Amino acid sequence: MSEHVKEITAAEFNREVKEAGEPVVLDFYSTECPPCAALAPKFEAVAEQLAGKARFIKIFRQGSRELAMSLGVTGSPTLLFFDRHGREQGERMGGEEIKRSAIKAQVEALLAAE
Amino acid sequence: MNERYDLVIVGAGPAGLAAAIYAARARLETLVLDESVPGGQVKTTHKVSNYPGFPEDIKGTELAKAFAAQAERFGATIRRAVEITRHDLAAVVKTFELDEEETVEARAVVVATGAKPRELGVPGESRFRGRGISYCATCDGAYFEGKDIHVVGGGNSAVEESLFLTQFAKSVTIVHQFDHFQAEASSAEEALASPKIKVIWDSEPRAFSGETALRAVTIQNVKTQERSELATDGVFVFIGLVPRADLVKGIVPLNKWGYVETGEDMSTPVPGLYVAGDLRAKQFRQITTAVSDGTIAALAAQKYLKQQKAA
Repeated sequence: MSEHVKEITAAEFNREVKEAGEPVVLDFYSTECPPCAALAPKFEAVAEQLAGKARFIKIFRQGSRELAMSLGVTGSPTLLFFDRHGREQGERMGGEEIKRSAIKAQVEALLAAE
Repeated sequence: MNERYDLVIVGAGPAGLAAAIYAARARLETLVLDESVPGGQVKTTHKVSNYPGFPEDIKGTELAKAFAAQAERFGATIRRAVEITRHDLAAVVKTFELDEEETVEARAVVVATGAKPRELGVPGESRFRGRGISYCATCDGAYFEGKDIHVVGGGNSAVEESLFLTQFAKSVTIVHQFDHFQAEASSAEEALASPKIKVIWDSEPRAFSGETALRAVTIQNVKTQERSELATDGVFVFIGLVPRADLVKGIVPLNKWGYVETGEDMSTPVPGLYVAGDLRAKQFRQITTAVSDGTIAALAAQKYLKQQKAA
């Protein structure tokens, strides 16, 4: 995994996402999930391009069942976007058709809104 | 200087990878591009029972990996998670810009981009996608451990994935628009005998509702027109496919459903451009027929390249 992507547990969600103080993209992923495997290199590429401006975080669904439920996440992969105040913004992205350019555009929109 | 290949194959599903195996064995410089990981629809199929050569069921992911490994063994390059950001397939030398970063050239191209799951087009569907609505049982089934879920559809995918989902869900209710399944008899019988599966016939979803996550689906009986709202924890949609024709739109003829009409040798009116697999206009879309298309496309492309060299 790229040095620009950090994996967290559900217990770290508040500190790493809600109180990050910068925009965060959160990736809920699962094992035995080919679309998750397909997303990983795109997620890492965008994380590298926007390093220092936004945080790119992964969280493993199987270990975060309650958090996933509380956020209404029922599919992998699901990307959630949070602004620097920890509020979820914009459309979630999911499934196999997530484009690198779309992730980047949504983070840039978050950065521009500040 | 752009990297140049004899053959670029777009789509690493069964059609694309069969083409890659044949092309690479013929010593063509072969590149396969896929925006995901190899396998196409096979990789998210929980098991495959009708592909010859495997007397026991094989997991879709394993079959997908085997296809890719075989193509790579003979020297085909597979580029994963790559986005085609520009392309020109009409010219003699065809070009692809990848991730806005680099350009590759091809003397011949096989487009095997296949098809993707059809959406219902019902209110609430996009809002609850990933919040209760799913199109991939292997990806999302585990989210529904102990839950009561619904499956929409009655073909092979709907019935077989319903059977797979019973290992997680407390109950699976299939909602199907007809009064019988279109799935193969063996799977249909298994589903009808499963104590966890119920079927609501002659009915179609009309709306999805909920707060943060999906809570209910409204269905309508197509014979009586009666509507009812069913509480649900999740809905899986398997109602067929739509072709992924973006790459070839405007340069090859599509039929009224958006599939590409090809010759028997997978050729299109554009010299050096072939279309294989589910994207092609044809009656049956199976792994076996995709593999057949891919084989033919690679052999036809090989012949074309030989003639080009001789000319």
